[in-house]
Amino acid sequence: MMNANSIDTQELLDGLKAQSALAVDNLVHHYSRPLFGVILNYTKNPSDAEEILQDTLLKIVRKIDTFRAESDIWPWMKRIAVNNSIMWLRKHRTARQVETQMDDSLPQFSRDGELQYPVFGWSVDPEEVILNSELSGQLYEAIQSLPYEYRVPLVLRDIEGYSIKQISSLLALKEATTKTRIHRARLFVRNKLSNYLDGTP
Amino acid sequence: MKNDLMKCRDCVDLLLDYLDGNLDEKTQVDLDEHFSACPPCVNFLETYKSSSEVTTVLRDQEVEVPAAMEERLRSFLREQLSAAEPK
Ligand SMILES: [Zn+2]
Repeated sequence: MMNANSIDTQELLDGLKAQSALAVDNLVHHYSRPLFGVILNYTKNPSDAEEILQDTLLKIVRKIDTFRAESDIWPWMKRIAVNNSIMWLRKHRTARQVETQMDDSLPQFSRDGELQYPVFGWSVDPEEVILNSELSGQLYEAIQSLPYEYRVPLVLRDIEGYSIKQISSLLALKEATTKTRIHRARLFVRNKLSNYLDGTP
Repeated sequence: MKNDLMKCRDCVDLLLDYLDGNLDEKTQVDLDEHFSACPPCVNFLETYKSSSEVTTVLRDQEVEVPAAMEERLRSFLREQLSAAEPK
């Protein structure tokens, strides 16, 4: 969780506006970890993520004058990180992702459209996941193994809370496509968590 | 007895709009009717909803930044700063 409160935000802001090297060091020291966490939701490759982080920090320093002091600095920084991650992905996008992996997670229906297997019911809440490192590992693994076409809309919707409309415009997708991808991604995550929770003695 | 009009397959396809409250009234009624007669779909709905909700734990997670990486970032920014504003 965001834990950079140990730093005096006003002092940091003033320092950054004055282009103080010390303030820049403080920015890197206090905000690299949470920003890196944001960015790694979009790309799993650490060196790509470092490149995006580097660019994000630079943008923060360069755009600090456009930051409105009455608002909170963290959402502002995070938005830069999210936009940078998306721009980076759009620039480096490749078509090597395979679709079969996604199809495996679709529910099975009978010929007349009924759910074919008994559906195991479970419910976990975010607190339980945080406390259960094995479960949070499963969740993290599931999201990271999604092809990025599915992962990014899911992250924007279910992690960052963007609307379908916002996501569609950020990713230049039709709203129907955005919805389908989020839905498929959720089915994928649901399937992984089900397999895990179902298999627990 | 299950609703003749709506099948589990249709049900699953509607879950995203259902959770967002974006279904028209008729579809919403049909879906609720299906749920009331189909325990597997209720389980499916709950696990789908739960999956979507737990994903928020990845919000604002902090990730370890190795000291060497922090150093690279620091020197990169200092370089950029001094290049931008030679004093
Ligand atoms: Zn059903």
